[in-house]
Amino acid sequence: MTTGNPMMYVGAVGLIMIGLFTVLSKRNLIKIIVGLTLLDTGVNLLLVAIGYIHNRTAPILTQAHADPSKMVDPVPQALVLTAIVIGLGVTALALALAIRVYGHYKTLDTRKIRGLKW
Amino acid sequence: MVATLLIALPFLGAFLIPLVALASKKLSHYIPAVVMLTNLGIALSLLPRVMNAPIVVSLSGWRAPIAINFVVGPLGLGLAILISFVGFLVSVYGISYIHEEPKEKYHMLVLTLLTGATGMVLTGDIFNLFVFFEILSLSSYALTGYNRDRGGTEAAIKYLIQGSIGSAFILIGIALLYGITGTLNMADIAAHVAGADPTLLFMAMSLLIVGFGVEAAIFPLNAWLPDAHSSAPSSVSAILSGIAIETGAYAVARIVYTVFDGHGIMLVLSILGVITLLLGEMSAFRQKDDIKRLLAYSSVGQMGLIMLAFGIASDAGVFAALFQLVSHTLAKALLFLASGYIIYRVGSKKLSALAGLGRKMPFTGAMIAVAVLSLVGVPPFAGFMSKFSIVRAALAQHSATYTGLIVLVLVATVIEVGYFMKLLQILFFTEAETEGAVEELPLSALIPITILAALIIIIGVYPHMITGLLQHAASGLVQRSAYIQSVLGAL
Amino acid sequence: MRAFVSFSVLALIVVGLALSLSHIPFGTDRMQVGNYYLDHGVADTGASNIVTAVVLNYRALDTLGEVTVLFIASLGLGVFLSWPKKKEGTQEEGKRELPEASLIVRRGSQFLFPLIILFGGYIFLHGHLTPGGGFQGGSVIASAFLLMFLGNNAYRLRHTPLTVTESLAGITFVVVGLIGLGVGGYFLNNFLPKGNMFSLFSAGVIPILYSAIGLKVGAELSGIVANMFESRSER
Repeated sequence: MTTGNPMMYVGAVGLIMIGLFTVLSKRNLIKIIVGLTLLDTGVNLLLVAIGYIHNRTAPILTQAHADPSKMVDPVPQALVLTAIVIGLGVTALALALAIRVYGHYKTLDTRKIRGLKW
Repeated sequence: MVATLLIALPFLGAFLIPLVALASKKLSHYIPAVVMLTNLGIALSLLPRVMNAPIVVSLSGWRAPIAINFVVGPLGLGLAILISFVGFLVSVYGISYIHEEPKEKYHMLVLTLLTGATGMVLTGDIFNLFVFFEILSLSSYALTGYNRDRGGTEAAIKYLIQGSIGSAFILIGIALLYGITGTLNMADIAAHVAGADPTLLFMAMSLLIVGFGVEAAIFPLNAWLPDAHSSAPSSVSAILSGIAIETGAYAVARIVYTVFDGHGIMLVLSILGVITLLLGEMSAFRQKDDIKRLLAYSSVGQMGLIMLAFGIASDAGVFAALFQLVSHTLAKALLFLASGYIIYRVGSKKLSALAGLGRKMPFTGAMIAVAVLSLVGVPPFAGFMSKFSIVRAALAQHSATYTGLIVLVLVATVIEVGYFMKLLQILFFTEAETEGAVEELPLSALIPITILAALIIIIGVYPHMITGLLQHAASGLVQRSAYIQSVLGAL
Repeated sequence: MRAFVSFSVLALIVVGLALSLSHIPFGTDRMQVGNYYLDHGVADTGASNIVTAVVLNYRALDTLGEVTVLFIASLGLGVFLSWPKKKEGTQEEGKRELPEASLIVRRGSQFLFPLIILFGGYIFLHGHLTPGGGFQGGSVIASAFLLMFLGNNAYRLRHTPLTVTESLAGITFVVVGLIGLGVGGYFLNNFLPKGNMFSLFSAGVIPILYSAIGLKVGAELSGIVANMFESRSER
């Protein structure tokens, strides 16, 4: 039973599914990498959505808002900070590898990148 | 307090290497070996203290579950000793083995990989486990493609894609766990998990097992392994087969035993393990063109065996799994290190090219024979004791399923004997293709190989050296409430 | 066959997630450690940005790991994008030289460059007071370098200062942590005085750590950008 509008969850899970579908079914290496990025974004959105609390604001004390009980959960925000950076690292590595793969195989089609036999 | 150095020093070393390389490139290549040796010393010195109760180290000065903590128990410390020991040997080997630029980056990546592995086995916080796992994985992706040839690049991108899907799953699992328990500390989650909804727990546990299972090479998530371990430079293959996948298996075991106390899933783990074992050994049997691919499939098989043993939910089962883990690491690292130079000297990875090498390089050949016999399970080597304990633990369950699984294990062992004996036959009893002597391996390779072989023999003959530690480690994993108690204090 | 397997896996995951998330109602307060951080964050660390307090004090080891992940990514890129120096025969591949940008773009990017760097520095220096911090500030700094690369065909970055900055910043982080170990008994302990809330020099070691992170991330991301641009012309 849900209180409140679950659209954030729908959006996050939707992004995850689109990303996963892209990775599993697309043939172009760049599209697969984009799919990975979508997957990571969806997971990050899910984390932030889990931390949200109704009618509360960002967990930063200022002279105007200094009441901690009116703040959102800070932990998922910290987790997402780390997760975004890790996702960036993976994307950078993947793109560099894609450049290298293209240099060797002259194509980005994963069906043709099958140098290693069974 | 000293235990934090086990993590801080490798980080420091990895950041230092670029600076030292500006001054003297050669000196910077020695840093991973030095750091690993120091780690080994620290870990060994801490060992007597943690045998009965783990040291819980709080980072940043706050107690768990407010801050991240390390649980330095017999299991974590034992694995850390293994990691730093094998890491030290492979770093020494890598000093002369790696000849392609940019060499400093290779050593930095090896050090970060070992840091990730050490962090994973020591941490008590699930998100920290994820972060260290990512450190391990990213270093592996980069090192797999280090050779930048066709095979290495293809293997690296496939490994990266599959590993990243796994990481995303782990993160979703962590999100679900945090959503329902409000904490990230593994002991705290374990304490609160009993009251939560079973569907959510099942979903979170499956996501986490699948995510870590990619690294632990559980069927059907291990498609990346044969490519990656065979196309990487051989010292990297040794680290990947000897440390990375074992750490993945540890993560799965920690999740299942400590966090979830999952009883239903244990049998599934064992069955998946046996399937992995059979498929791995059968695929290894078919290899004749690539010795490293054969070794990689053998790693898949052995990981299946370890997973089977972890699924035997008893002290004896976990003990056997850890024992098998240790003996596999020692033997597989030896084989990859040896094959590295052999392939380089002979110029080919084909099995037929190895003909007669056992007689031309008698010393290396003997070491290889030791490792092979240990993996197969011949006494008096370490592998015999470990396989025997697995069989004994499974039979102690007195269940028809487990007895059936053991029968399949024996079938797989027969297949394993088949291809490894073929390998030994080619090495020792076949006429060499080319005339002329082949030099023995250089000293920087021979010393690590000899030390590994010596350990295999010593542990095989005097298993009591490590069985005490392994038993404490096993009960540390199985006794969930003791873990929760030591981390969270009086509840 | 493969499509069927993919679809069924996806369907299972969606159903599983939907069922699981129904037990985590959106927008409700389920905090456990979160409450502690909100109530005691300022008193414990002196930082008024509670997320920073979590990232750089309570869970500082995660941040060290995160910095290392970026380090590994830039190393991996350096490995993958290093081409052997002499390569005859590939010149005809077509060194696709881009047309030079117009005067406005070139001069504009050179004018904006120091301003963007200043902005990035502001972000990471005030990480404990305002939203932002080391990673955000470092990314902004790297975007300044990206602007220079995009606006000027002949722009090249020398790698040695980047490597030195990166290394020194990383070592600073670990050394501060080790000093915390020596002084307070815990790695990454906050051992400097907490100062007054809302002032720049508060929160103990947190501004130092965030500055180190900001510089390190800036150097690393700039190095990644430089690697990618240079590989285009070297192939």
